[in-house]
Amino acid sequence: MNPLCKPWEHAVSRRRFLGASAGAFAFGALGGLATAQAAEAMRKNEKQVLFVWLDGGISQLESWDPKPNTPFGGPFRAIPTSVPGTHFSELMAKSAKQAHRLCVLRSLCTQDNSHSSGVARIQRGDPRNRGVPYPYFGSAIAKLMGPTSSKLPPYVWIKPDSGGFKTEDAGFLGPKYGSLAFGDGKPPENLLRNASLAADEDEERNELREMLNKRYAAQRRTNFTEASSYVFDTARELMRRSEIFDTSKLPPKDQDRYGRTEIGRHMLIARNMLEAGVRFVKVANYGWDTHGDNFNGHASLVPKFDRAFAAIIEDLAASGLLENTLVVAMSEFGRTPRINGHVGRDHWPEAWSLAMAGCGVKPGAVVGATNDNGTFVKDNGYDIGAVFHTWYSALGIDSKTVEYDNHGQPLPIAHEEMKAIKEALV
Amino acid sequence: MRLQSPFTAVFLAVTLAFAGVAIRAESLSQRVDALIEAKAKDGKQPLAAPAGDAEFFRRAWLDFNGNIPSAEDTRKFLAEPAKDKRTKLIDQLFAAPEFPARMAEVFNIQLMERNGDNEEWRRYLADSFRENKPWDQMVREMVSPDFKNEKLRGAGHFIMRRLEKVGQQDTDYPGLTRDTGRLFMGVDLQCCQCHKHLTVKDYKQVDFNGLFVTFQNVKLQPAGGDYKSAWLSEGLLDKKYEFVSVLNRTKGETGPRVPLGAEVEIPTLSEAEKWIEPPDKKKRTLGVPKFSPLKELGQRLASAENPFFARNIANRVWFLAMGRGLVEPLDLLHSENPASHPELLDLLAKEITEHKFDIKWLLHELALTQTYARSSILPADAKDAPENFFTVAKERPLAAEQLARAFLAATGERERVIDGKGWDGIEGKKVERKDFQKAFTSAFANAAKEPELSVNPTLRSALFLRNNDLVLWSLQRRTGNLMDRLAAISDAEKIADELYLSILTRPPTAEEKTEVATYLAKHQADREKALGHYAWAMLSSMEFFANH
Repeated sequence: MNPLCKPWEHAVSRRRFLGASAGAFAFGALGGLATAQAAEAMRKNEKQVLFVWLDGGISQLESWDPKPNTPFGGPFRAIPTSVPGTHFSELMAKSAKQAHRLCVLRSLCTQDNSHSSGVARIQRGDPRNRGVPYPYFGSAIAKLMGPTSSKLPPYVWIKPDSGGFKTEDAGFLGPKYGSLAFGDGKPPENLLRNASLAADEDEERNELREMLNKRYAAQRRTNFTEASSYVFDTARELMRRSEIFDTSKLPPKDQDRYGRTEIGRHMLIARNMLEAGVRFVKVANYGWDTHGDNFNGHASLVPKFDRAFAAIIEDLAASGLLENTLVVAMSEFGRTPRINGHVGRDHWPEAWSLAMAGCGVKPGAVVGATNDNGTFVKDNGYDIGAVFHTWYSALGIDSKTVEYDNHGQPLPIAHEEMKAIKEALV
Repeated sequence: MRLQSPFTAVFLAVTLAFAGVAIRAESLSQRVDALIEAKAKDGKQPLAAPAGDAEFFRRAWLDFNGNIPSAEDTRKFLAEPAKDKRTKLIDQLFAAPEFPARMAEVFNIQLMERNGDNEEWRRYLADSFRENKPWDQMVREMVSPDFKNEKLRGAGHFIMRRLEKVGQQDTDYPGLTRDTGRLFMGVDLQCCQCHKHLTVKDYKQVDFNGLFVTFQNVKLQPAGGDYKSAWLSEGLLDKKYEFVSVLNRTKGETGPRVPLGAEVEIPTLSEAEKWIEPPDKKKRTLGVPKFSPLKELGQRLASAENPFFARNIANRVWFLAMGRGLVEPLDLLHSENPASHPELLDLLAKEITEHKFDIKWLLHELALTQTYARSSILPADAKDAPENFFTVAKERPLAAEQLARAFLAATGERERVIDGKGWDGIEGKKVERKDFQKAFTSAFANAAKEPELSVNPTLRSALFLRNNDLVLWSLQRRTGNLMDRLAAISDAEKIADELYLSILTRPPTAEEKTEVATYLAKHQADREKALGHYAWAMLSSMEFFANH
């Protein structure tokens, strides 16, 4: 917005302001490291996020907070999990075995029961209205933490339907902090090397280009050339590593484990991207708005999610990445305990659940509870603002002191009247 | 010698009356240079050398034609011995039909900020710049549109597009209010919607709300009856608008007003007097109120009496020529954010007002300054140069439209794509100009509603250049295109010449000639393809991407 400062200038000054280690964001930092192993070791300590978005609203009763044999409990049973005393819905058989790695929050109590505003409210952390659109969590992390030393784009969104460069999530941070969206799991236009070009030809023409640029830039002001080379360098890096983004070849064995379903495929791509070092990966899955025939709907949807989710938790744990990766699975709200005339469940922001794992969150924990019939939360409910503080805290960002600078307007990164949920943190 | 403007007498009078500038009575362009040089001297900022002929030629073409010149035109210009060839060039460019089209394009980008397109609006802009319509008249036509006039109704798009409903959001009256202030007066009042401005003393909550209430009764109406296209109705406003500060609950009220100006009094009229044409429920007509806040706004905002109106357009025309405003940001004109050259801004505002807000005249004057004609190459020994001294030309990234045209011109595909019947490009599908334009716009334009004063480099654009089919296919040999011309040349030095003049609008240096020769010697076996790669490297280089 402000033509005085360009987004890339913000990127640098902002991160200096945040006091993050230089290595955590600097493009080109990798070049300064002695060996590939050193680079790998450094990357391993960098925090990452996997954000699974179940659009439309997964029913807490058919997933994380079952209430069998109650008036609203529905037909499914509850099953024991790997944590004694904790039960999930029987539709979550595989995730139940990962419960010791999960932290389930059962007392979400949020503000909005409409999709159109609820989706944005939840993913923005519902801060107080400042008259400017807040960034979604992925864009916020792209801004606050930047790319990892892998130099890969910080915010990748794997989604059904169309992909491309999605800028709308970035809000006032500006389009640079939008996502690189893989529509139906496929890379955005022009990301893979054009079929008419061999790899060595591509390298050679880029060297020519750099030679020309160097001479041009040597005599001129620096800011124009820096901004332009930044994106070209990123593009080059992306293409060099395009095998990560070539999602046409996934190992059959993994495909079986994750499920040969849309969410299974997308979650597997997400794992590859996390392994490659993408800072924030969002996996979106649609069709959870079961106003009619909720139970058949969830009987079909939940096991697909369950299989994929359990598989990625298992893989991240096995590779050690889980230690530094914050995993979240959630929707814009839960579903009504009351079962409507179409055997469906409607929107219910009053009492619902989400699951977390990994970096900084307490493994095997269940935080908060709903009442016996699952209609409302017991004691205090948590709004999404508190959840945002919790996530930031898990990622080592002090959400009470770090602020955005919106062209001179200081803005808190999470709702200033809320605080992190201590019980959910290590 | 540069052309004597018919307004010389006016300059003389103005200059003599202008206090504080002790310079001889000269043309505006000379006075501009004197002020720039005086400040540079005070600030001990060395001036860049004058741009070379090739640098100047390319810059002027891109700015005032919107394209790069052909290799042939460049050769001719460089060989031309006449001393006044630059002045002649500027005059030719300003007289050509491409000039108003380029202005329409620039103003479309600035005023609509990539927020949708509309054919009547484009036509309105093109017609207006072709007639060289005064800017105040254009703004009145945009702010208070006449939807019954076929030639003028396109101007209504400025408001209409902003009042269209998007998804479930409310109609964006605050956005329209903000944009009107920003674009026509250079004041961004957004922060004053809910409270006094926290950082700008001059901007008050009443300023936002006075403009806001002007638009409050304006509604989008579908085509029908007397109206051939969608139009805007204006309802009855007979009382002031009340607002409250969210900070301290202070109440205020206002009628329509031009920001930082006086309030328009709402006339006290009897029920019968309120309407020119009362609403009729049977006929389903909305009625026409006697008091039109839009007309009042149009007349008072776009007026010589409103100092912000003149300063804003003077600053924006300066920006068009120099790539940076005298006041930055362009939409934060206020007393605590002075211009880098306050006297200069005063001078330009005064001159453009006296010239009846003639944008073309002012831009022409600026194009003749030495400030415009300076090189973007830093003076010897300087590591950098502060932009606000205007001592070194500022590089400006090309807009998507300039880029698409320049790309086609450089690769020699322009005739085929634009004038021909399309081009059997990709997989047997014809490629036409609109395909090119669309692809370049989606790759290079800023996001919608993001002001595009400068194009932000994006990953999308970098990937587009590297891998897009259109880009790569235009570098394949086809009758008469650049690759075809190069294939016919055997001498490496001449190849370098053709490459550099066609793409970068300048002859190659000795070093660059050697580079081309070395590269070609290495690629004897796959010469044609290799030349394509060389051209690609030049086309995706910063030098091509910048108006420097």
